[in-house]
Amino acid sequence: MGRYILFRLLKWIPSVFILLLLIYALVFFGAGDPIKLIFLQAPGDVAYDPDRVEAIRDAAGLNRPFLVQFIDYLGNIAHGNFGNSLVSGRSVNSMISAALPVTLKIGLTAIFLLSIIGIILGVIAALNQNKLLDNLIVGFALIVWGIPVFVAGPLIIVFLVLVMDMDVPYGWSGLFSFKVIVPLLVLGLNPMALIIRQARAGVLEVLSEDYVRTARAKGIPNYQVVVKHIMRPVLTPVVSQIGLLVIATLNNSILIEKVFGLPGLGRLTETAIKTSDYPVILAIVLIFSTVVMASNLLVDISYPMLDPRAAAKKTGDE
Amino acid sequence: MTKLLEVKNLHTRFKVRNGYLYAVNGVSFTLDKGEMLGVVGESGCGKSVSMMSLIRLLPPAAQITEGEVLLEGQDLAKASASEINTVRGSKVGMIFQDPMTSLNPFMKIGAQLCEGIMYHKKMSRAEAMKQAAKYLDLVGISNSEHRLHEYPHQLSGGMRQRVMIAMALLGEPELVIADEPTTALDVTIQAQIVELVKELREKLNMSIIWITHDLSLLAGMVDRIMVMYGGSVVEEAPIDEIYKNPRHPYTIGLLKSIPSINTVAGSRLPSIAGAPPNLFVEPQSCPFAPRCAYRQERCTREIPPLEPVADDSAHPKHRIACWVDVTKVNAEPKEGSVL
Amino acid sequence: MTDNTLELQQEEKQFSLAKDAFDRLIANKLALVGMLLVVFLFFIAIFGPYITPYDFLSQDLMARNQAPSWAHWFGTDDLGRDIMSRVIYGARTAVIVAFSTTFLSLIIGIFMGSLGGYFGGKVDGFIVWLIDITMSVPSLLLVIVINVSMKPRLVNWMDEQFLLTGNEFYRNTILVDFVLVFGSLALIKWPKAARIIRGQIMSVRNKNYVLAAEAIGVPTTKIVMKYVIPNSIGPIIVYISAALGEAMVFESSFSFLGVGVRPPIPSWGNMISDGLRVWQLYPHILAAPAAVLALVTIAFSFLGDGLNDALNPRQWK
Repeated sequence: MGRYILFRLLKWIPSVFILLLLIYALVFFGAGDPIKLIFLQAPGDVAYDPDRVEAIRDAAGLNRPFLVQFIDYLGNIAHGNFGNSLVSGRSVNSMISAALPVTLKIGLTAIFLLSIIGIILGVIAALNQNKLLDNLIVGFALIVWGIPVFVAGPLIIVFLVLVMDMDVPYGWSGLFSFKVIVPLLVLGLNPMALIIRQARAGVLEVLSEDYVRTARAKGIPNYQVVVKHIMRPVLTPVVSQIGLLVIATLNNSILIEKVFGLPGLGRLTETAIKTSDYPVILAIVLIFSTVVMASNLLVDISYPMLDPRAAAKKTGDE
Repeated sequence: MTKLLEVKNLHTRFKVRNGYLYAVNGVSFTLDKGEMLGVVGESGCGKSVSMMSLIRLLPPAAQITEGEVLLEGQDLAKASASEINTVRGSKVGMIFQDPMTSLNPFMKIGAQLCEGIMYHKKMSRAEAMKQAAKYLDLVGISNSEHRLHEYPHQLSGGMRQRVMIAMALLGEPELVIADEPTTALDVTIQAQIVELVKELREKLNMSIIWITHDLSLLAGMVDRIMVMYGGSVVEEAPIDEIYKNPRHPYTIGLLKSIPSINTVAGSRLPSIAGAPPNLFVEPQSCPFAPRCAYRQERCTREIPPLEPVADDSAHPKHRIACWVDVTKVNAEPKEGSVL
Repeated sequence: MTDNTLELQQEEKQFSLAKDAFDRLIANKLALVGMLLVVFLFFIAIFGPYITPYDFLSQDLMARNQAPSWAHWFGTDDLGRDIMSRVIYGARTAVIVAFSTTFLSLIIGIFMGSLGGYFGGKVDGFIVWLIDITMSVPSLLLVIVINVSMKPRLVNWMDEQFLLTGNEFYRNTILVDFVLVFGSLALIKWPKAARIIRGQIMSVRNKNYVLAAEAIGVPTTKIVMKYVIPNSIGPIIVYISAALGEAMVFESSFSFLGVGVRPPIPSWGNMISDGLRVWQLYPHILAAPAAVLALVTIAFSFLGDGLNDALNPRQWK
């Protein structure tokens, strides 16, 4: 098992490296000069001093050749130093450590809570296949599945404030405030829809398996059949979706944080990109990819725990 | 001999896309305590569905439309869901065909064995495990206490089937229904399982219904044989009688098509011409008529009832569903077939 | 009673797979609604701007921020532009991007998938690795970065070309926006198409009847035509419908964030973003594009699900 993890990590490192290189190159050769941008507040503004800009750039080491800068950067990362924001001068580490917890808290809670609800709904739907309850749940999942968060979010806000006369859920007051419920809900809708469909399909497949028939033949009550025999096999395909979910949630957090004014990584990303603040951008890319890789790894590791047959294959025991 | 089970005029059908599939059409029989009944027929003749109907172990699309299933006086066809659950696993045990898929791969053997009796007999986990180990020994699995903690994929096919048997017997049932338990196993294992069942039957004095498509398998094992075709019983008799004095054209055909050690090498294997019946329409006449060499006009108009053979030379418990007396009529076999 | 089993078998043979799938799709009412809505969307995208009463760019500063009325069915925005016309033009934006993205990603995907599936070995290993990394990157982030970094250069390049050649074409910097959006989106999406094709090729290659065909000298092209293509059509159709819907969502996400298609060219995304600033006073500015986008994504969702069911039947067990 340890070897397996090591192997996966080895595959992951070059991917992240290349990604970093790519983004670094893109930002380096592409976007506007961040120092210039600070001076050019309005388009067509020529009241900046090119020499001053050059001086600042030299001081920040921005005039050295590409590879030199990149390797230098890598070295810094290895020491945990992500540099300073080109815009504000604050250390990137501090900016991220302020923003990351917010995104993580909301994202993880949303995925976790709404997955559980999703599984339950999916199981209920499958057990009542083709009856009204099933159609309602499936229809709900289908509707919710496609709607982008920045559409659902505003629509819900409009509804709550104008129709239900509630306060605008804007800003961050911690995980256990009332305000967080709406963004949590909106963020979780897409994952929930996916999980509902996955769970439902999984249960339907298991229902037609022979061993469920055997269980029924033993005369144990229906709820026992469901919980003991049906739930376990369903977990595997559901968990396998979590990798996708994490990516989608990371994407959505960028959008959600704009809609609901949450000071998380998403907001940070948006501002950083607009100002070409590339130390920040790079650090965020690194974090996002790490999170994705880590969740994929976790999902992979969990298979043997969920499915004894997979465990046997891993250790070669048959 | 006391009567254990009495089935009267059982009808089961499946709801399909454009109508119904009439799988069981009027099956009636009785079973005494300690008796072993073999049910024979080709794929699709309704043998599995009819026996599963006894404990209502059917998919959602199926429904029992008529008939009674009296187990010690209680009508299972009309019982409530909780009443049926009380019967399943305790009064009636089931052994299924494919041991590879009939055990839950995600649960340990011990857990699967115990859950039935823990529910029915209110045993604790420890007591149930002890009982389970006992029965694993009984079915010939060595190292039983260790096995309880293993997963199904760690056992071979034959061993898994033994576990299935143990699972069926754990509840100390009065009736065991075995649905083609050896069909998925290779021949040597098959013989072992047959021996095991014979042994257990003597020890525990249970009634057994053994379903198979292989007539030759049942010789030397069962007391009585019931032959099914097209959803109904066509012939029923004690085992020796069936082999010596078959009266239904289908049974005769079956027996003739079994290759024997006396078969001349190089000769053609006899078969029954025609195709299985279309069960999407409710039968109005004898289901075997289209393929029957003894067919007469009445056979295509009316369904023959299952009745004792009129002939005195036949065994008193020999019943057939046929309009024709094959001992008195000449066969007109179809092209290349035995009938 | 006649034996009519044989007749039944013959009837079933006449079922062609395509007709069967189509029938199933039509029977699914939700999918039907979805399909009709999508067709309607395409229609509006093509013909809409010609039949709207107002030009989507024309401003009427006397009629700013008006609530929906008979003159302006969806109301007007803060520059007095008719929202309905803009929403209709937004359909065009969405559809253009969606089709370009899907088409491009399909081409790249089929190419890469075929390479991997056909050559196997190291080539395939490389392609699989490429697919894995691309799929594990948070796409929104990557695409935004690409967009933001490439855009100034491309705009500069266009300007240079215009100065060089004097060709009017190079004045359309809006084109840069579009190309960047669907180009970078295609880069994100091709792995899915590649996987499908690769999977088909690999599963077909291993079949015995293909080995047999190769052994008697059937040319590879014929094998591809007879086996790979027919089997792939189903999953590709499902992919296309999903990809179209997803591309629309992505495009509106970008314009929502201010990347990609910018005002004054209407995209539902940037309209929603604008609406978000003033919704408490003028909710209709937000509600109109949001509701339309929601409806479109739901339609694609229904359609995609219906297509999936129709082409991969699970009911016959």
